[in-house]
Amino acid sequence: MNFKKYMSFRAIAITFFSCLCFNVSVTAQTRSAQDLYQRSLAATCANCHGTDGKGQENASMPKIDQLTSEQLLTQLKAFKSGARTGTIMPQLAKGYTDEQMQTIADYLGKKQ
Amino acid sequence: MDRRYFLGTLGALAAYPSIGNATNLNKAEIVVVGGGYGGATAAKYLRLFSNNTAKVTLIEPNAQFISCPLSNLVVGGSRSIGDLTSSYANLKTRHGVKVIKDYVASIDRDKKTLKLSSGTTVKFDKLILSPGVSMMTDKIEGLASANQMGATIQAWKAGTDTVALHQQLAAMTDGGVFAISIPLAPYRCPPGPYERACQVASYFKKYKPKSKILVLDANQDIVSKAALFKKAWAEEYPGMIEYRPQFNVTEVDGKTKTIKFEVQEDIKADVLNILPPMRAGDIAVNAGIANANGRWAEVNFLNFESTSAKDIHVLGDSIQIAPLMPKSGHMANSHAKVAAAAIVAELNGWDINPAPVLTNTCYSFIDSQQVVHVASVHQYNAAEKTFKTVAGSGGLSKEPSILEGVYAWGWAKNIWADTLG
Repeated sequence: MNFKKYMSFRAIAITFFSCLCFNVSVTAQTRSAQDLYQRSLAATCANCHGTDGKGQENASMPKIDQLTSEQLLTQLKAFKSGARTGTIMPQLAKGYTDEQMQTIADYLGKKQ
Repeated sequence: MDRRYFLGTLGALAAYPSIGNATNLNKAEIVVVGGGYGGATAAKYLRLFSNNTAKVTLIEPNAQFISCPLSNLVVGGSRSIGDLTSSYANLKTRHGVKVIKDYVASIDRDKKTLKLSSGTTVKFDKLILSPGVSMMTDKIEGLASANQMGATIQAWKAGTDTVALHQQLAAMTDGGVFAISIPLAPYRCPPGPYERACQVASYFKKYKPKSKILVLDANQDIVSKAALFKKAWAEEYPGMIEYRPQFNVTEVDGKTKTIKFEVQEDIKADVLNILPPMRAGDIAVNAGIANANGRWAEVNFLNFESTSAKDIHVLGDSIQIAPLMPKSGHMANSHAKVAAAAIVAELNGWDINPAPVLTNTCYSFIDSQQVVHVASVHQYNAAEKTFKTVAGSGGLSKEPSILEGVYAWGWAKNIWADTLG
């Protein structure tokens, strides 16, 4: 079971179990657990592109937080397929699953 | 129904107090030892991932962060140490990390306390050790005394020694010999010695063109970016750099500046840069955490917790590496994020991410502007409980380029900000 499916299953299970038995909230827990996963995966981009994709001025790296999720995903897929050339990114993109790329694009993409 | 929408809907319906161990996250004393690429990143990301609720203390003896990556440019004289220096101020003011400038003298694993050099005792519930490497000076006879008299300098931790090594090169007569010896891998920064040879050659080419460089390598071949370095040496510095593999240093005489080997004849040089074998930082070894041959700390790669001590996590160069995992600053930063997320999850009562990902990018300057890189992606393999590189991913530069030199500085600015800013 991959992590997203696992988290969904776990979230649903905890939600129903908690609501029925403990009369407590799962809001923060389920949201934050998923956020934590998304954010920690997206943080693998931060070494080169800055925390949360907010790169430094004059750092020469694309500021990926300025792209929409769709634009970001399109670029990641293009690097992975070889449609877009480059130095590091074609090599790194091939190390991520499509699902991981989607998660990263969802998290880092500029919110409309 | 979209999964996130579904979860969000469930969340909106709930209006109850929190469950689980969220209070553990707020109450736990999390202490990070070592403010390098691993430790500083861990401190910052523990705060970020906990929405600034975790109590995080960073203990670091140095007043400022000095980057080891790029420090060979200081050895070669094209950059100053100030170009590589950053403040810890943002960790305090922007992220709420308590920063203590001190040195950890000892760890009491049972009492969960640290004794600092100042005499202060610090309690921890979770401890992250990121102490880098220590030089095994005693493995080379005479090295300690040669260091003492200034006849040899390692400069493998950026700072005053880095500047001192450049000054020795500057003081050397044109026509002299610079010798760098490389221990058997693993050691900190696999391409670092070869990049250093490039930087010294770049300096010699400009200022002392009759001088020579000996690269005395205990390994069978160049450990990283071999073809790229060999090509650069041949084309950029013809006749200046001599590479000798399987030269294992056993002794050094600081008075006569002589290097002795297991097999080969003695060699004399004017500037000696003898790198001995390395191991985990002293504090990890002294605390009994270095349980892999007494040199490196074995960890659970899901959360970087020591396999020999609960609630003590180890990051960066000190760990027993997974296959093809380099001991690099970028990798230490990556370790830190996985560990920080796992600790926040654990203290919240959540399952930790069973599929973490690490990346590595390493740039090497072959002169003051042209650069080559190596990059890799490491996905956790649950069956083998380790990180493995993804087949078909990663790789090397095709050739040195100024463009990658620009990217290298961009990488530096962003990773320094990601670590400290």
